Amino acid sequence: MKLWRGLFGGLIGAVYVFLMLPIAIVVMASFNSTRALRFPPEGFSLRWYVAFFESEPFMESFRLSLVLGVAATVASVLIGTPAALYYVRFAGRWREAFRLYVLAPLLLPEILTAIALLFFYYQIGIGTKSVAGLFIGHVVVCIPFVFLQVTASLYNLSPSLEEAARSLGASPWMTFLRITLPLIKPGVINGALFAFIISFDNVSISLLLKGIGSTPLPMQLFDYLRWGFDPTTAAASVVSILMTLGAVVLVDRLVGLRAMRF
Amino acid sequence: MSGIARAKWLLAAPVGAMVFGFFMVPYLNIVVMSLRQPSTTQAYGPGFTTDNFVKAATDPLYVVTLLDTLRLAAMITLITLALAYPVAFHLARTESRWRGVLYGLVLSPLLVGVVIRTFGWIILLANNGLINQAMRQLDLPRLQLMYNEFGVVLALVHIFLPFMVLPLMGAIQGIDPRLEEAARSLGADKRRVFLRVLLPLSMPGIQSGCILVFVLACGAYVTPLLLGAGRVHTTTTVVVHQLELFLWPFGAALALVLSLVGLMVVWLYARLSGRVLRGQS
Repeated sequence: MKLWRGLFGGLIGAVYVFLMLPIAIVVMASFNSTRALRFPPEGFSLRWYVAFFESEPFMESFRLSLVLGVAATVASVLIGTPAALYYVRFAGRWREAFRLYVLAPLLLPEILTAIALLFFYYQIGIGTKSVAGLFIGHVVVCIPFVFLQVTASLYNLSPSLEEAARSLGASPWMTFLRITLPLIKPGVINGALFAFIISFDNVSISLLLKGIGSTPLPMQLFDYLRWGFDPTTAAASVVSILMTLGAVVLVDRLVGLRAMRF
Repeated sequence: MSGIARAKWLLAAPVGAMVFGFFMVPYLNIVVMSLRQPSTTQAYGPGFTTDNFVKAATDPLYVVTLLDTLRLAAMITLITLALAYPVAFHLARTESRWRGVLYGLVLSPLLVGVVIRTFGWIILLANNGLINQAMRQLDLPRLQLMYNEFGVVLALVHIFLPFMVLPLMGAIQGIDPRLEEAARSLGADKRRVFLRVLLPLSMPGIQSGCILVFVLACGAYVTPLLLGAGRVHTTTTVVVHQLELFLWPFGAALALVLSLVGLMVVWLYARLSGRVLRGQS
């Protein structure tokens, strides 16, 4: 009995260690003072962070990823929120088909979506010359996350509140702004958080749709890793982790985090 | 009144247009592309053909890659399930005050991009990586941990583990603990309680977790490319390679064959596990 309980506990502990291991290793590598990471580590240094912030290609990618992430988040919130409202409040017979339609980009492998968009862009003649194509690709894969979060919070909101406002003479637009939106705000903000993280960490879409001179940060890391080892990538990784972690903490403070339910 | 009816419709219009224009049409376009004639000078030649599908489905090179991809995905799914079940069970039933922290630990890898997590594994598993340095210091032989299936499977199990824990946890939380107590008090040992009570009742969670991880594993690209480094071929790496060679119609056909076969496996699995579910209820 005791032996089994010990084994069970040990297995669970091992899985937690396994989950954190590669991330801890990257953080360690970013603070290592020498180029090659040895075990045990030799000395503490911030030189790779200095190298990262002084590297023009990395900084350019970092800026692009931030702008792209924010833009894709805003766009997918503006498209996904009304879609969720339609699905929960108004969709009739085609309800489930509509849900499947909105979630489709989540259900098919991202790399296939990227290939489909690449062919399409070349055939309509824009190719990968414009960042707009990359931006649209990000929006398409971000919308389902906003939709899922806002749908969940709309389910918890009684329609009678909106009906009361309407019967007291508020216009539909006024009802939405003054009643619905404030009450679903946590869902919208959590959806925005997911959208930002999905866009900021995206590789599959960016891999095929990035243009010359417009490489988002995860793609820049990917290219560096493909052709060798440079501890600057470790520093870039940690900065990128801190960005998403910062967004998570901010949302948690603002409205509280909500789990994603599929 | 007609104003409101129109306004309702307008709510769905942006998402309708976006998904239609930049998802549905491009996917239909892949189907058309897969039927085009290959060409060496352009993206595709004039006329249509089914040769690309014949080649994708019969050429031993691509069939072996496809089977390898499915085998790896199945292996990853099973290992993930075996590791995730105890963790999900513990998280669903524990009353420890660390529950929130442990839950956060399971989910936190999702906040770290796939490239970064793969990078961590490279530092550990490379030929002169941390593990092999330790082996050398202990005068043990060097282990080949990367550039092979082992490394790819290990890293993908890591990446997909949270996707398995979440549905399992949901299913286990829905099982009344009194059912286990009842089985125990009626004389069932732990193994029987697990096999006859817990496992059948958590089957819906197992099913959705397995489907999710299998589909994700079939579509994985970055990790097989970086950790396999040209020595592990999956259908996705081969498809993207076709694009780099500008063999677009064939790449499109190959991608469609992978999606279709993957969907068929999922459908078969759902049917089989559905039968198991019904048989035991």
